[in-house]
Parts: sequence; structure tokens; C-alpha cells
Amino acid sequence: MQRISTTVRLNRSVLQFDDAANARLEQYLAESASLLEGDPDPQEILGDLEQAVADQCTRRMRAGQSVVTLAELEPALDEIGSVQAPGNGSASLHPPREAAPRTLQQVSEGAVISGVCLGLARYFQLDVTLLRVISFLLLLGTGGAMVLVYLGLMLLMPYAPLEPGNTPIRWLPAKSRAFMEFLRVKLGVDRPGKVAST
Amino acid sequence: MAAESKLAPIRKGLLEFLVLKIVGAKSVYVPDILRDLAGTEFTTQEGTLYPLLSKLRREDLVQYEWKESDAGPPRKYYRLTDAGRAQLGELNEYWNLINRTIANFGH
Repeated sequence: MQRISTTVRLNRSVLQFDDAANARLEQYLAESASLLEGDPDPQEILGDLEQAVADQCTRRMRAGQSVVTLAELEPALDEIGSVQAPGNGSASLHPPREAAPRTLQQVSEGAVISGVCLGLARYFQLDVTLLRVISFLLLLGTGGAMVLVYLGLMLLMPYAPLEPGNTPIRWLPAKSRAFMEFLRVKLGVDRPGKVAST
Repeated sequence: MAAESKLAPIRKGLLEFLVLKIVGAKSVYVPDILRDLAGTEFTTQEGTLYPLLSKLRREDLVQYEWKESDAGPPRKYYRLTDAGRAQLGELNEYWNLINRTIANFGH
């Protein structure tokens, strides 16, 4: 079999790879790049990994051998392993997705008025205090028109199912929820049988 | 082993602490760290360590400098920053605290 080698620059090293090894290397690096999606500094890590591959392959080559084959590359990649996100912290590469589909809902637990801000904060993954401050400033800035917006959202946004375990709800959100659910039935906003029960 | 699924996240969480400890003891490059961890419960691969070190560098806990090596290209040597040393101190203290707490229960 004819072997055509490719010169590959791996960070600070330059090595010759045969076709099969070169294809495997490209696959590994593409895989690593996709695993690092969302990492703030993937280039640094990829550069380090390239150097690791080069060092590991060089260490495995026989004296006088000039071309890296799968015989060196496979054990090298096994030792390096696939890219793993750091264990914790905000820099988690793949933030765990919530199992439930993201829906825009009012959240009663921890709510101040009815849970609109809390629901928006969860949906857009924003800080709820920030949203409350913005809403309050809009309330002042719009001369009260914000009240109508809030009432509109109260009517339009369904209520999230209550958390299990009877988490306490403040008086006002509890009353709002009861009243809005009553109003919805009256207005026919909620289709029968689709009351949040799950 | 049923307990394994509970032990894995503990190890994963502690790896960062351990890496800070190793880097704190002396200026090291990645193969040194891997060798120190090899054979312990925390045996680790480059694919795990480089992303972790990159994160620690972004958090300004470690820094690296290039050093020439006798064989091959220059190597990245990592050491702790002042912030890294401070955090390692905090982690050590907390670790000791947790250990005492755990030891005190269940008698």
C-alpha cells in the first residue's frame, strides 16, 4: 500500500502523518472543537491539545521513524482522552439543560406581585432583581402605563404548576393566582382540561 | 458498584482543588501534574486537564510561562497567582472544616 504523508503543524511542533493517521487526527480535533463550543477560550485549549498529541506521538515513534501512523496516534489519543468540561463553575461548557421544555409562565413561589418578573427571568435566564428594577423604573417612566402591561402579562402568561412540597407563596401572589385563574375560566382563556395540572 | 455514581461527582468537584494544590507546591507542566495524579483516585487525562487549566487561568488563579526544554518545543509551566494562593488557602481551610464535621457525625 502506498503511503502518502502529510506535514501537519501541531502548535509548536511539525510532524508527518500518514493518510489514516491524518484523517483520525482531523476527526479528533474537530470533535474536540465541537465539545469546546461555548468555551470562552477554545483556541488555547485546542493549541494545548495539539501540542499534547505531538508530544505523545513523538514519544511513541521508533528511532529513525519519520511518519506518524495509527499505531502511535491511537494510543496517544487514548491517553489524552476526549475533552471534558471543568467540573463546576460558570464556565461549564455544556450547561445542563432542564428536562422540561422552556415555557413562559408565571411563577408563584417567591413572587412579589404575581410572578411575571420571576417567570420572565427564568425564561430569559436573567436576574430577577434586575427585571424588577427595570419594571419599577418603567412604571415611574411611563406614568403608570406599565400597570396595564403587567396586567396584560398576568392574563396572558399561564401559571407554572406549583412546586411539589408546598413551598410557601406570599399572600399577594396567591391571591393573584386564584383571581386570575378564576378570571381565565370566566373569559374562556383556558381551554377546559388544559389547566396546569402536571 | 452502586456507590460509584455518587463518588464520581465528588472526585470531579475535588479535581480543581487538587490541581491548585499541585500547582501551588511547585511550578509544573502538564505531564508533571498527570504523573502526580496517576495511580490516585484522581487519575486524569490531558483532555480534562487542559480545559480546567484554561478555566483557572481565566479566573486568574494560575498563570503560565514558557520554558525551554532540552528535548522538543518549549513547555508551559504553570504556577499560582496571588489570587490562586488565597483561594487555595480558603479551600484548604474549608476542606479541613468539612472533614471535621463529617468525622463528628454518626457516633
